[in-house]
Amino acid sequence: MKTYAETDILDVIVIGSGAGGAPLAARLAQAGKSVLVLEAGPKFTPAHYTSDEIEAREIYWLNERLSGGRNPQPFGGNNSGTGVGGSLLHYGAFLPRPDARDFQLHTETGRSVDWPFRYEELLPYIEEVEAFIGVSGPAQYPWDSSRQYAYAPPPANPAAIKMREACDAVGLRHADGPTALITRSFNQPHFGERKGCVSCGACHQGCRNGAKSGTDNTWLPLAVAYGAEIRPGCFVHTIETDQAGRVTGVVYKQNGQDIRQRCEKLVLSAGAVETARLLLHNGLANSSGQVGENYMTHISTQIWGEIDQEVRPNRGYPSLTITEDMMRPKDADFAGGYLIQSLGMMPLTWASNIARGSTRRGADLVRTLAGYNRSIGMGIHGDCMPSPENRVVLSDEKDSFGIPKPLITHSYGPNELAMHAHASRLLTRMWQAIGARDLRILDRAAHMMGTARMGKDSGSAVVTPYGQSFDIDNLWISDHSTFPSATAANPALTIMALSLRTADAMLTH
Amino acid sequence: MTYPSDTPPFLASDHLSRRTHDILTARLEEDASAVPRTLSTTAFTVLERLVSVLLPQEDILGQQTLNLALRVDMALSGPRDGWRFAELPPDIQAWEQALLTLSDLSISQFDRPFSQLEDNAVEIFLDGMGEGKVGLDAPRRLTPPQMQKWALDLRADVIECFLADPRVQDRLGMSANLNGGDERFQGFETVQANEREDFEPVTKISSAA
Repeated sequence: MKTYAETDILDVIVIGSGAGGAPLAARLAQAGKSVLVLEAGPKFTPAHYTSDEIEAREIYWLNERLSGGRNPQPFGGNNSGTGVGGSLLHYGAFLPRPDARDFQLHTETGRSVDWPFRYEELLPYIEEVEAFIGVSGPAQYPWDSSRQYAYAPPPANPAAIKMREACDAVGLRHADGPTALITRSFNQPHFGERKGCVSCGACHQGCRNGAKSGTDNTWLPLAVAYGAEIRPGCFVHTIETDQAGRVTGVVYKQNGQDIRQRCEKLVLSAGAVETARLLLHNGLANSSGQVGENYMTHISTQIWGEIDQEVRPNRGYPSLTITEDMMRPKDADFAGGYLIQSLGMMPLTWASNIARGSTRRGADLVRTLAGYNRSIGMGIHGDCMPSPENRVVLSDEKDSFGIPKPLITHSYGPNELAMHAHASRLLTRMWQAIGARDLRILDRAAHMMGTARMGKDSGSAVVTPYGQSFDIDNLWISDHSTFPSATAANPALTIMALSLRTADAMLTH
Repeated sequence: MTYPSDTPPFLASDHLSRRTHDILTARLEEDASAVPRTLSTTAFTVLERLVSVLLPQEDILGQQTLNLALRVDMALSGPRDGWRFAELPPDIQAWEQALLTLSDLSISQFDRPFSQLEDNAVEIFLDGMGEGKVGLDAPRRLTPPQMQKWALDLRADVIECFLADPRVQDRLGMSANLNGGDERFQGFETVQANEREDFEPVTKISSAA
């Protein structure tokens, strides 16, 4: 890997090596730009990942966040990663495409907001991402007959099979979902051999054989092959500007030392909390007053139950079956829609959800835990609207770097509550239909989006539809911070597609 | 290598990575001789009593129970999970204050230490916390809304510390850590229902359903 000196002035510095930063870094490096990616976390050795869910926290973002509001959201493993590869080191690799209608939800319903461009404009980038990283899926996708996936789906575990039966019972279509993993070995250019998935089930604890398509085994090796440097262990805390207000560089902490690195352009790809925190802490790019505002999640209601079979929910790809039939339910009393997926789960994650989502105790709790090997689940990802209630601000409390810890306020509004209630009823009916017992609904939210939204109007958005700051022309944002609304799809694919689109804009603007 | 009699056989499997093996083996001894290092003595005795009612381990482990309160105490001083409720002080402080709140309430309501309460009284405290009805509006104590939030952390930490132990995993037949060794990363050959592979522990405890 090429390395740059501290005295070099880089064409581009990217903060964050996950889904937002890595594709863009590769694209810009391929175009001949000098690119430095600063990653706060370490570089891990995949074979060294552990399925032990306590120690596996090393790949989660553990700098403490304060979580408030009526629906306080867990962080760490629920949405925030660290290390070269970012949150894709621990993501579940469920990779549905966003629904075109979710980009125009305001036009459709008069509620939420429209994205500043249509889905069709992002589609070529989505297809490019899928083709490059490797995605498995069915031969025929029921909701989009034109779609092709390069890899066959992984084997269906019992939760996936039971969800198929439940869909059949209530009249919903179903399919193997698009998953960002490869099911046969592949020699990834500039990386080396990635093995096919072996159904180990520990996607969220880090993929040990390269089957999961992250940035660490796809975009980052490509970036490095074209001269980019990935520098781990670098926590950026200061963005420096000149008298004209343009970015001149950053200061980061590495091994206890403050190091300054200068650049022509800066890209923030640190995620919806850290990107906002960095801007708020430095008092930058906020003439709109929108930095930190409109924090969003996915409504991620789950149902769990037991069946009379030993299913061992840790085995196999966790969440294979999908239905998109609830993207616009006929009986909806809400705007937008939700995806449903089957759920297996590693035991501590499963038990922690029970701990926080139920009041069981004593013998009742013990029997519930003892039912792990007979447990099957389903979960939804539902669209979430921007709301002035929900935001990231700086708290009064400092972290170990001397920077204020972020305070995140998150409350469901009427639309989110209605969607949660609708999904709870449907999931219950589905699991009852296949004879699951001891049903438990878990009210939870996952993922994170918003806080630096894109738009056409500098008064109501932080960045342009391409991710460029309205206030500072050499400052760009490439991560889920820019999402105007959540959309129902898991965010990784959209983030990567936007990242390529932003890179193209940086090369032409 | 020899193992004590209560060491789960799955720790010798080549479906377990060396690193995971070492993590789990170290955890077996985690509560062997240590004393609480995070919480005060008063707070710790409250935690011990709470844990015994929240999660009666004997139903799973027989007489070979873990010192679960001690494991929670140790976990509080280790790396945490990256967030906390905004309404609560930092974790160690929150746990100390929550447990002392229960201690104070036990004295004022029952005229005896929390550790001497009957199961039924502890159950009422546990349920009351969940309903936001237990707490104190006093310095260095937690209010009922704060106790309601803390009760969720209590439940999560206790359950996580319990299931992280390989003996518990063995009793419950959990194969999650047997997902692949170092020499050959095997994963699972079958993911079908009612098809247990030879290396996976059998389930030894019946469940709720």
